[in-house]
Amino acid sequence: MNVDYIVAMLMISFGLYCLLIKRNLIKMVIGLEILTFGIHLFLISMGYREGGIAPIVTSTNPASVVATMGVDPLPQALVLTSIVIDVCVTAMLLSLAIYAYKHYKTLDTSELRRLKG
Amino acid sequence: MAGMTLIVKTASRLLSPFVLLFGIYIVLHGHLTPGGGFPGGVIIVAAIVMLLLGYGAEAAKAKFSPLQASVSENIGSLILVATGLLGLFLGFNFMKNAIPLGTTGNLYSAGIIIPLNIGVGIKVAAGLAVILYAMLTAFEEEEK
Amino acid sequence: MIEAAPILAIIIPLMGSFLTPLISILTKRYKKERIRDLFVVAIVIVTLLLVLHMLPTVWSGNIIVYRLGNWTPPWGICLAIDGLNILVALIVSGIAALVSIYSLMYMKNDTGLEKYYTLLLLLLASMMGVTLTGDFFNLFVFFEIMSVSAYALVAFRRNWDSIEASIKYMVIGSLGASLVLLGISFTYSLVGSLNIADIAQKISIIGTNPLPPVLILILALLMTGFCIKIAMVPFHAWMPDAYQAAPSAVAALFAAGTTTVGVYVMLRIIYILFGVAALGVMLIVLGSVTMVVGALMALVQRDLKRLLAYSGISQVGYILLGVGFGTALGIEGGLFHLLNNAIYKALLFMCAGAIFYRVGTCNLDELGGLSKNMPITAGLFTIGALAISGVPPFNGFASKWTIYIAGIQAGKAFFTLLAIIVSVLTLAYLLKAINAIFLGQRPKRFENVKEAPMTMIFPMMFLAVLCIVLGVLPSLGIDIVSPAYNALTNQHGYIRAVLGGI
Repeated sequence: MNVDYIVAMLMISFGLYCLLIKRNLIKMVIGLEILTFGIHLFLISMGYREGGIAPIVTSTNPASVVATMGVDPLPQALVLTSIVIDVCVTAMLLSLAIYAYKHYKTLDTSELRRLKG
Repeated sequence: MAGMTLIVKTASRLLSPFVLLFGIYIVLHGHLTPGGGFPGGVIIVAAIVMLLLGYGAEAAKAKFSPLQASVSENIGSLILVATGLLGLFLGFNFMKNAIPLGTTGNLYSAGIIIPLNIGVGIKVAAGLAVILYAMLTAFEEEEK
Repeated sequence: MIEAAPILAIIIPLMGSFLTPLISILTKRYKKERIRDLFVVAIVIVTLLLVLHMLPTVWSGNIIVYRLGNWTPPWGICLAIDGLNILVALIVSGIAALVSIYSLMYMKNDTGLEKYYTLLLLLLASMMGVTLTGDFFNLFVFFEIMSVSAYALVAFRRNWDSIEASIKYMVIGSLGASLVLLGISFTYSLVGSLNIADIAQKISIIGTNPLPPVLILILALLMTGFCIKIAMVPFHAWMPDAYQAAPSAVAALFAAGTTTVGVYVMLRIIYILFGVAALGVMLIVLGSVTMVVGALMALVQRDLKRLLAYSGISQVGYILLGVGFGTALGIEGGLFHLLNNAIYKALLFMCAGAIFYRVGTCNLDELGGLSKNMPITAGLFTIGALAISGVPPFNGFASKWTIYIAGIQAGKAFFTLLAIIVSVLTLAYLLKAINAIFLGQRPKRFENVKEAPMTMIFPMMFLAVLCIVLGVLPSLGIDIVSPAYNALTNQHGYIRAVLGGI
């Protein structure tokens, strides 16, 4: 049982709990961030190989050694893309939280329940 | 927002050019070392943020105004798309590596990866600068 | 045929959205802002022409495969266009062209317009990207770009209702996207590849009958993520607020564009990626629940745009019901209803926008008796309302009749009866809306309300003519939709065309 997978699942469940239960808008954003980081950790640890080396071709590690002993670099590229998307969404959520604070002088989410039906 | 104490001002003034240089190094060596466009762009914008936090919004805007940031952001993305269209004009498919590849391990090698990294680095730095300017000056209209 | 037409259909709106702020700075200096608006309309029309250019090749049975960077799949990203793709691309680019012509006049009173046009072009580019791609992670990236542009456009007017609606949409939408990412990571760890055709081949080797538990988990995560996007019933909480707060032109593009793209992705995953046709029962049940809840909630609304949003939820239920029946007639009926839903939903939202533009309010309690002032808008709204309720001779009747017959042939008479009852409810609430807005007593302050301007009437009239044409000649609609049906059930042809006979 790999330690990475256990930690990733713990992070996903903590993030989900924080997103659903907390009432402050900034804490909801932090919960969403922890959820996304848990998924990224899961994705990177998917490419692990036992006793592997970093997938960089240097003078001591020619391409053949990297091909047989290196960890998988594709999930790392996927996670890099996903981190960029996550930065954009977090920036937008925090800007809207600034607007919310300017309007209501408080960040409690019971004001969001006003739109019903 | 106003600036900070004298120690922070001196430290940010002395360190900011070196951080900028380090960011440019990471962007340019994207095909040889870990890093590339996105982390390099974030480090470049850290140099501007050091000035913004240390000296206040007006001093940082005098050095790198929001209009310049907005225009550079679009120019960065246009470099990215134009590099892809270069392969289209030379007769192959989109984003084909048609520039001569050098030997592996040199700085000048790996075809179109260098212009792609530069385009992404400029776009990320300018984009994050626009976001940070907008967020850090959001409460100033209230105080006036 | 232009070789690079698939990639140009994505790149041209993307480059347009990068050039729009630069052009806007130049035109603001010389005070000629109309040039920027016309530039945007020109780019959207060029995209529509590229999609029309690819139509004859795909409808004669070929599958266009375009390899980015000349890398062979599955090691490179490829764009694969078959009959299903081209139908959705046609709907999306057509409605986007009409919406951009409509918003030339509709957004005249708003400020910050260069950001609006940039976001509109980015939304179009990402919707074309989701539709035309053949790679799973590429689909996820374009799907995220589409979601972020939608969040920004909902909050465009910056009054308090819009910001609250956007926060709600953003939190629920990000949760859905995270679930999709988790599903994609499980898929990658199972098969080791990210190309849709390659995943389909490897999953069919693993075997889908009976479904192993890993595939059940992946299918559940992916379906939940995309069902949040198309607002099926347990996850529909964000939709009425978001559609009420967005400008009406944008709401028309959401109802016709992003919902269609979401349904397309679900169909692609179920039929081509997994090859599972046994998911029909779940689709039928969820579809019927969505239909009924949407119609019942729409009966009690007092605001026109919220009423139209709930009716949109109800129509998506019809599409899923039609596809879930599983027979040839059922799937064709569902796809035909997808096409019709885009047409009359966009028409209804544009009419609501015209009313809001001239009068300033959308509340049914305050409106009344506008048929004397705005006769053309009243006529077009009535055509849209009759089409959506399934009254002959409009197109809604043709597609709903196909779904009813498919339901009776498949032996599911209870769900067909439910569909007929919901259709009657649809007619009920839309007649209530027409009565409240156009007939009845007119309040004093609406004496001098004029008709909507010509640039706004022209797209609405085009859509109404399409409603009538597709209703009078339903065989034309079935001809448009049958390449999509052939592509949906032809998993082997898709794999062979993309992977080149391996």
